[in-house]
Amino acid sequence: MSVKVAVSGINAVDNPGPGVGIAKGIKESGMDVEIYGLAYDSMEPGIYMRWLFKRAFMMPYPSVGEDVFIERLLYIKAHHGLDVLVPALDAELPLVIKAADRLKEAGIHTFLPTYEQFKLRAKDRLPEVAERIGVKVPKTFVVSSYEGLVKATNELGFPVMIKGIFYKAKKAFNAAEATTHFNAIVSEWGYPVIVQEVISGEEMNVVGLGDGEGGHFGLVAIKKLWITSLGKIWTGVTVRNENLLNATERFVRELRWRGGFEFECIVKDDEIYLIEINPRFPAWVYFSAGVGVNLPARLMKAALGMEAERDWDYEAGKLYIRYTDDFVADMEVFQNVVVKGEV
Amino acid sequence: MNRLARLAISDEGFIFDPETGNSYTTNSTGVFILNLLKSGADEDEIVKALVEEYGVDEEEARRDLYDFLEQLRVYRLID
Repeated sequence: MSVKVAVSGINAVDNPGPGVGIAKGIKESGMDVEIYGLAYDSMEPGIYMRWLFKRAFMMPYPSVGEDVFIERLLYIKAHHGLDVLVPALDAELPLVIKAADRLKEAGIHTFLPTYEQFKLRAKDRLPEVAERIGVKVPKTFVVSSYEGLVKATNELGFPVMIKGIFYKAKKAFNAAEATTHFNAIVSEWGYPVIVQEVISGEEMNVVGLGDGEGGHFGLVAIKKLWITSLGKIWTGVTVRNENLLNATERFVRELRWRGGFEFECIVKDDEIYLIEINPRFPAWVYFSAGVGVNLPARLMKAALGMEAERDWDYEAGKLYIRYTDDFVADMEVFQNVVVKGEV
Repeated sequence: MNRLARLAISDEGFIFDPETGNSYTTNSTGVFILNLLKSGADEDEIVKALVEEYGVDEEEARRDLYDFLEQLRVYRLID
């Protein structure tokens, strides 16, 4: 019988969610799987990618509350079967982490960090994590007022990075730009705002899957070669930077990280500056599967309590190429999603 | 010269640094010099090899070598 896996973040748009990449990896797991896409908008492209997602379901926003969200998953379980849930969006994670036991009782398996781990990697607590694993962080101020912004920029000079606590990061080269970015981020995401020193070096990221006991099921490090105007990777290359990989292993060991993650750094000579830790796979996670370290498939296996592979001897110099594509779908799919909330 | 040792250098002059992900291109003379540097040759030995290989005089070979080494330093490929 097929393993039924639900994946969210199937918004493969210009700021893509990780869902399509995760689904591609799971599809190549060699196991008999049926993948469901969980969507928040009837226009999310994954819904229409029928070759990848056998079914698609509209989900209530996590902000509606845990019960409604879980009820929806239980409905899917009852009517179509559901063995593994892979939440791929930041906003879903706190809810699913808290409900993990409840889901497990219902036979829906996850492989997620604990709530404590989830909170620890938040942007405002990065300096603490960095210290624990022996890497640097750019000088950072967490500010909640315009006065705080001015004080931070006086201290840091220009340019500075102005970041939202969850999303958005903009570089400001002078006080006027800093104020503009600060106001834009506050109006969209609220306080606090992070004001950070700009470090010039190589921007490198690691995707990994912690086993929750201090070890991991593989790491793949990349350097971004080309990014979009939103800062999203468009092309990248695998690297083997031992300093960076060692730092990532220390992170996994020190926090006993469980589940997928993305470790974002700037590497300047021998120094590693930690920029962000995402508590889930990044949108480029398929790259790992493509170089022989199929992290989405390993996560599914770990969630099911199977022994997942741990080899991660990938080659440096493999290229990741994202491209735009298009296809034609029937109105019937759209109609079902809109009317029935599933297809 | 540590960083040179890890570089993948193709005969066509394409150079990939697996640690930083950066790539570079150079001409056949560049490849000739890089391979000598990787094998541990010092400046005098490289100058001599350039004179023999390309039939240039020593002064020209040395000037060009220094220029090339300076570029490698700019790219932080040598100290």
